[in-house]
Amino acid sequence: MLTKIWSAANYGLEAVQIETEVNVAEKGFPGFTIVGLASKAVEEAKERVKTAIINCDMEFPTAKITVNLAPADLPKEGAYYDLPIAVGILASSDQINLPDDKEYYFGELSLDGSLRHSRGVFLLAILAKEKGVKKIFVPRLCANEAAVVEGIEVYPVNSLKDLIRHLRGDKLIEPLKYVESHELLDKSIIQFDFSEILGQESAKRALEIAAAGGHNVFLMGPPGSGKTMLSRALPGILPPLSEDESLEVTKIYSITGNIPSGGSMIRNRPFRSPHHTTSQVGLIGGGSNPRPGEISLAHRGVLFIDEFPELSRISLEALRQPIEDGYVSISRASGSVTFPCQFMLVAAANPCPCGYLGDEKKECKCNVHQVLNYQKKLSGPIMDRIDIHLNVPSVDVNKLMVKNVDNTSEKSEVIRERVIKAREIQKIRFKNAKGVYCNSDMKNKHLKEWAKLEESANLLLKNAVNKFSLSARTYFRLIKVSRTIADLAASDTIKEVHIAEALQYRVRTGE
Amino acid sequence: MLNTVKVKEENYHKGKYGENIAKDFLIKKGFNFIEANFENKIGEIDLIMTDNDWLVFIEVKYKSDDRFGVPEEMISKNKIWQVKKVAESYIVEKRHEMYKFKKYRIDAVCILGDKISHYENIE
Repeated sequence: MLTKIWSAANYGLEAVQIETEVNVAEKGFPGFTIVGLASKAVEEAKERVKTAIINCDMEFPTAKITVNLAPADLPKEGAYYDLPIAVGILASSDQINLPDDKEYYFGELSLDGSLRHSRGVFLLAILAKEKGVKKIFVPRLCANEAAVVEGIEVYPVNSLKDLIRHLRGDKLIEPLKYVESHELLDKSIIQFDFSEILGQESAKRALEIAAAGGHNVFLMGPPGSGKTMLSRALPGILPPLSEDESLEVTKIYSITGNIPSGGSMIRNRPFRSPHHTTSQVGLIGGGSNPRPGEISLAHRGVLFIDEFPELSRISLEALRQPIEDGYVSISRASGSVTFPCQFMLVAAANPCPCGYLGDEKKECKCNVHQVLNYQKKLSGPIMDRIDIHLNVPSVDVNKLMVKNVDNTSEKSEVIRERVIKAREIQKIRFKNAKGVYCNSDMKNKHLKEWAKLEESANLLLKNAVNKFSLSARTYFRLIKVSRTIADLAASDTIKEVHIAEALQYRVRTGE
Repeated sequence: MLNTVKVKEENYHKGKYGENIAKDFLIKKGFNFIEANFENKIGEIDLIMTDNDWLVFIEVKYKSDDRFGVPEEMISKNKIWQVKKVAESYIVEKRHEMYKFKKYRIDAVCILGDKISHYENIE
């Protein structure tokens, strides 16, 4: 008998409907074949499905079983076809009856019949809503991801046994209640508080501006000056994700299997810190069935790269286009996929290989050639894309010995309040622009309307561009940073002081 | 400790026993017996019989119980490939007698206890 079960495949950031046809033939030599461009993981479903069915006290038919995953020209990856195949076999051998309505089955089986955490449940739920499918059966461990999608019934399935009981009508599974996504706010644990960092007031101010406008930051300083600590404290002042942003981030996290068991929406801005040996594919995304890389995982959040010049030349230069565009297109033999990657780049580096070039107390031991080689890695195009360049000098010992810490530095919470306020202003400003959430997302065409400069500010900017021979891109980026500074000061127009402060973060040592 | 020689001998007899059951079963079905246990360096064909104008190569699997799985599971793709290869060389070797057969196929007879199942034209 032939049974058709519906499921989905994840392709890029979208789910595609997959029809799983299962035929249990009455005649023919017993066997189990899966066709439809199945990868090794799908092939291995045979053993999992067979053992799981037997371990659920059901009969695995000794017959010729053929499974077809249609459309046949789309490569199938992953283990989540286990459940549709198992249900198909049971239905085809008349052990259970399926309703006539279209339903989605999705999940990886364990040998004992229980369902494992599977990637991409959130996307499946979105697809179900799109296609008008009312019921989806997904592993309980990741059912919460789907529960935020309105208008569908999500059935959390513990094991194949439970599902069989449900389909037979013996013991029904309760569908999950729809959860409004703003109910899911949770507190994150932050490694460092800004008040713990002593000194570095100008760096803190710059990071506040960066967080408020989503600008890229480059921190340069000798070892031990607090570059890493500053960056690690950054998540504490980032504003929470808005509803729309949260959806975008959750999609990426669902597809990469990064949502923990029982978790649903991602509410905190991602903070990714890949090691500098990360390959180009790991950073940008790729693979024969393209998967998002670190830059996409950092979408709407922070990508922090410590020891920036140590990153391989290929990876470094590959960052250029995604930083500018906010998305990355990956083309492979199997097709082309676009992943969003509007992240805030925070890069940290030493000024030279020994680390003490330009330090007040310690002498640099590098020769000129070494320093040039080191700094050559940070090419013009990549540095041009960074809005805020910061020198983080080593901290004076007197500041470290201050006894009462609380009185001297602001807490992260206080800074965060200001950042959120600035973001609120931006939110109102960009409410009609799709895909623009903060100042750094603005395209150049938006600047005329949303970033009005006062006459004096305009003059200052013009002089600066001429004097430092800044590029056109830098010019626009300067305006964006000044816009953020103006937002922090709750000013409608960009004043001279705002431009002046933005310029201060622009000029680099050695220029 | 198990005596491997003895176990092998026992297995041989069990196999022979199964082949005899299969042979009788197929003769009753109207097959004609030609040869049993045709061997070459690639492998062995348990039974060679004819079914009307078909020349049939038969793989027999015998199991007294299903504690270790059903006999059908024991016929792998490799085994079928092996039978196919041996069958090809058989046809070449005996071409003067076999020219009258235009159609060949591989069958399987699986015996589990007293239950005999016959599968035609397995691939």
